[in-house]
Amino acid sequence: MSLELLDGGAAMAEAAIVAGCRFFTGYPMSPFTGLLEEMSRRLPAAGGVCLNAESEIEGVNMTLGAAAAGARAATGSCGQGIALMQEAIAEAALNETPFVVFNLARNQQDYFQATRGGGWGDYRTITLAPKDIPEAVEHTQLLFHLADKHRAPVMLYGDPLLAQTRVGVDIQALDFGPLPDKDWVLDGTGGGTGRSRQIWTWAMGKANDPGPGPDGHWRAIADKFDRIAAQEQRHEEFMVDDAETVVVAFGTAAKFVEHVVDGLRAEGHRIGWFRPVTLWPFPGAALRRATTGARNVLVFELNAGQMLDDVRIHAADRDAVRFVGGVSIAESGLSYGPLLDAPVIRSRILGAL
Amino acid sequence: MIIDTSGPPVLPAKQVVDFKPSLLLGEHSLCPGCGEPVALRILLEVLQELDIVQRTIGVVGHGCYGSFVRIMDVDVLQCLHGRAPACATGIKRVRPGVAVFTLQGDGDMANEGLQEVLHAAARGENITCVMLNNGVFGDTGGQQTATTVLGQRTKTSIDGRDPETHGYPIPVADLVASLQGVGYVARGAVSTAGGVLQAKRMLRRAFETQLAGGGFSLVEILTMCPTGWFVPTAEGPAYQQGTMEQTYGIGELVTR
Amino acid sequence: MERELMVTGVGGQGIQLLAKTLALAATREGRYAMLAADYGGEMRGGPSKAGVVIGDAPLKALPILPSAWSAIFAHHRFTEGVEDRIRPGGIVVANTPLVDPSTFRPDLRVFAVDAMGAARSVEAPQASGFVLLGAYNALTQLVRPASLAAAMEELLPPYRRQHAPANARALEAGAATVEVSA
Repeated sequence: MSLELLDGGAAMAEAAIVAGCRFFTGYPMSPFTGLLEEMSRRLPAAGGVCLNAESEIEGVNMTLGAAAAGARAATGSCGQGIALMQEAIAEAALNETPFVVFNLARNQQDYFQATRGGGWGDYRTITLAPKDIPEAVEHTQLLFHLADKHRAPVMLYGDPLLAQTRVGVDIQALDFGPLPDKDWVLDGTGGGTGRSRQIWTWAMGKANDPGPGPDGHWRAIADKFDRIAAQEQRHEEFMVDDAETVVVAFGTAAKFVEHVVDGLRAEGHRIGWFRPVTLWPFPGAALRRATTGARNVLVFELNAGQMLDDVRIHAADRDAVRFVGGVSIAESGLSYGPLLDAPVIRSRILGAL
Repeated sequence: MIIDTSGPPVLPAKQVVDFKPSLLLGEHSLCPGCGEPVALRILLEVLQELDIVQRTIGVVGHGCYGSFVRIMDVDVLQCLHGRAPACATGIKRVRPGVAVFTLQGDGDMANEGLQEVLHAAARGENITCVMLNNGVFGDTGGQQTATTVLGQRTKTSIDGRDPETHGYPIPVADLVASLQGVGYVARGAVSTAGGVLQAKRMLRRAFETQLAGGGFSLVEILTMCPTGWFVPTAEGPAYQQGTMEQTYGIGELVTR
Repeated sequence: MERELMVTGVGGQGIQLLAKTLALAATREGRYAMLAADYGGEMRGGPSKAGVVIGDAPLKALPILPSAWSAIFAHHRFTEGVEDRIRPGGIVVANTPLVDPSTFRPDLRVFAVDAMGAARSVEAPQASGFVLLGAYNALTQLVRPASLAAAMEELLPPYRRQHAPANARALEAGAATVEVSA
């Protein structure tokens, strides 16, 4: 094992390259900028291409093109820039082009954006929210696998602490098992054969080989997302079996909650925590089990209450659900405010018991 | 083939329109008098003549010509409105050995996607962009685009395009031609038989530029849209010659 | 066992470089390190804080430290939220005379280091941050002195290589400061 001291942007860049990413685009925006810079530094040496696009819209469409041509490809921004990419993310979900989107956001206010999306049509975006950099290294690789497995755009939802903190990490290629052949890729060889390929959201096919059309295609996409929802739920939990109180949090905030709840448990409180690792699909069945018998289901997130909706949908007793998070932004606007701090979270939780 | 001229012909004469390039999988579904199927036809012929049929990827935008996706026997990505040059960039960068072209209209390239085409050109992307310019949103029934000529009546400039209200038309080929990184830029028109042949030569040179690694190439082709212009079908070519071809000069703007 | 260090000062004092040098030295020794930087947009004059955590197993530490085993105070400004997080018995390096060592909580072990004086005495006036680091490491023995010097050199960009000998003298001078006073 060999540890390298890398910030999260560099660690995710290296993990993406190890996962076979060979095309990356981005538009500088804090705290995503570091990942873009690292990709522009590292990708050419790996035989890949990194382009500083003139807009997020252009960048995501370049990535869509590269993915349609068969490359493992990615793009990213922070929430504000991801907003501009939503049309293309929806398009890629509906025309089944797989790539990875990094939302290295400034806070946790993009939960709805990630899990509900802002594009058109019936689609969802598999979204992983790592709690720290070692997990982000794993998730980055897993996301390229999930994108190819399901032929869909997927997202990593991080934040400034994930992007900019440096930790010693050992980045090794992970094997997530076999994948289907990419027999749908546009490679240019189909011309004149009568079997030329097509990637098209409306899926009408060619005159000599009609496709399912929008009705059939979009039903199939909806069915696919139902299957993904059943297959890909991931979560972590701690001491929920006898807990009177279960605290639910995601991403970096969940790491803080873990720390606080572990301490409270050691002091004798019957308390546990639950962390959705996939924000979509939300691990609803697991949350229902974890909150069965709990008097308090506390939701801590750094926003006005977004994941709160999903917790209310899935908690065993929705009347037990209470919000202990809130909006908290640094003066610069670029990171979290004082609410993301273990002593503050501890007092919020204690105040709600 | 030696034609026997000793007697009267045994088969009726064939018109050019009856020949079908082998890359056409079926009939187009556009209006009578439309110039876009003519442009498609010469584009497909060029791919065949350059023998790059099995190493070509097309990226098609949104407009009437979008339906060509169904009848082109070419690998195709149907992309978002205006974004074809960005998608084509991604494809070309990961498959540099493949010829990549975009097929876009004036609404697609000059309205929705002007940024994409200008930046692709300035980057010198080795792709060929084909813009079918009829000066109107044909697919949605005849509204004003960025290339609608002054005075032209559309459903959103009902008394004619007035610069005081609607601004001036954008000459895309001229804009692109002003950028470094560009290898070939031309503007043709398919309102006459000679124009069709000239536009085909332009397309051929554009693809040759790409295949030689000569940088970005663009061919803007003025195409008739009698339906969107609200003129009788047969008057389409003459209307185009009297309006668009007066505003936009025909010819090669950049050759290297 | 995870050891936490909080460093605070103003931009330009070398706070970030000091913290990064320690984290890299630990990493090069094959140990787990975390470096959480917190500084404003200003390069100089604004608040500059950093947290460093070193351990022998994958770290559990939070990137915003709730409590710390030790601290370096390089300046009397921007100190709020640091002293009250140091655990009882914690080690504090106070940069005198900018920081008054007599004002700290009585349950802390405070070591006064005249970093600028020591830096000047070894003709390394720009390296007072490394004096503080050398002193801190001599007190805590978190990493080997040679690892610290090697990490310092590794972090120098090519156009600043000429500063390596002065920085090395500053690290040694810092260590000597606490050996004398301890």
